[in-house]
Amino acid sequence: MNTPPTDIDLLDRLAAEYVLGTLRGPARRRLERWRSRSVLLDERCRFWEDGLMPLLRGLRPLEPPAHVWQGIRARLDLRSPARGSRARLYALAASVLLIVAIGAFFYWRTLAPPPRASVVATIAAPSGALMWQVEIYGAAGAPARLSVRAGALAAPPAGRDYELWALPKGRAPVSLGLLPYRHDAMHRALSLAQQQALANATQLAVSVEPAGGSPTGLPTGAVVFVASLRSMS
Amino acid sequence: MTGAAEADRELDARLTDLLRRCAQSDGEALQRLYALVSPTLFACLTRMLRRRSLAEEALQDVFVTVWQRAQQFRPERGRAMAWLVAIARYRAIDLLRHERFAAVLVADLPTGTAPGEEPGDDPTAMLAGTGLLERCLALLTREQRHCLELAFVGGNSHADVARLVGSPLGTVKSWIRRGLQSLKACLEA
Repeated sequence: MNTPPTDIDLLDRLAAEYVLGTLRGPARRRLERWRSRSVLLDERCRFWEDGLMPLLRGLRPLEPPAHVWQGIRARLDLRSPARGSRARLYALAASVLLIVAIGAFFYWRTLAPPPRASVVATIAAPSGALMWQVEIYGAAGAPARLSVRAGALAAPPAGRDYELWALPKGRAPVSLGLLPYRHDAMHRALSLAQQQALANATQLAVSVEPAGGSPTGLPTGAVVFVASLRSMS
Repeated sequence: MTGAAEADRELDARLTDLLRRCAQSDGEALQRLYALVSPTLFACLTRMLRRRSLAEEALQDVFVTVWQRAQQFRPERGRAMAWLVAIARYRAIDLLRHERFAAVLVADLPTGTAPGEEPGDDPTAMLAGTGLLERCLALLTREQRHCLELAFVGGNSHADVARLVGSPLGTVKSWIRRGLQSLKACLEA
């Protein structure tokens, strides 16, 4: 069948299974060809793409490693210098100056207080091997940024991830995100909820979670490490 | 809910603007778009593909595709975030064709939303929509909903879903078909 069906119910059923991902193989390829030619089919696909998207809500965002963006930039050749008239060169120079100025502004804003961790925690295996070094930056009692470095032995449990939690006194754990592995590092700004949790916490915990992180917002797997937060001030 | 819906519209307007600029070959817009949505798309790809290295490769493919197809995005036809999620999920499904066994282990899936979170604290708020789907999902049977999640979130085929829930393939297909019918009736009501 080289032309899309005209039966709207059939079109809708196919669109739904295509978006859901259960339409596979040649049928999937065929629907993709039809979609590029049929406004009606395209409209039904978009209906399901919009409608089913919230099913992903349970997923915790996961920061990709820096080399992914570098790879994208290289593949798209986004760093190639602008070519063109003298005016464009001036425009380029002006924007470089602007970027330098903005950069300097933020440099002073962010680095004026020396970037020294205010609170640290060392997460180690029972053998004493370093798993993760956690550093929290910001004024005393006002954590703002989190930095985690993984030791050589920090590897993901098969098909799962390690998730870091703040344990605020008398309250439920608050996720600080997935942990990096094997010498990798993770740096991030803390959300308000994370800042409040850390300001009231003396300990961190690490749990084993489904790949991508806890689906519920609370630890669901075994807590495998607990470490105390040490103030550096 | 009004606040969430407003934040949702605002995010969509921002993404739409960035996609429009990508269509004009503005590399900085792509970088901003990446900073905004890559953690969500990477979580989605990691869940479907089960291997971080494969998910990283897929994420690169996704943003190359976004760059190349940005001019095809029509905001009047659907939400920007849905368009981006669709590109990511379809790429993952294509890769799963070549990784036949990759999805077999997908057993741990979200069965609902995180309880007790303020909308503003929800890191996946950009996927939330207006809450209509949640209301419609509540009308499904447990089996229907579980099968839909295994397929949509986990990237499982009919056969994989049947294996995971331990029910005959025909039964699973019918749960999925009826689940989709109920959702459609509710979403379009």
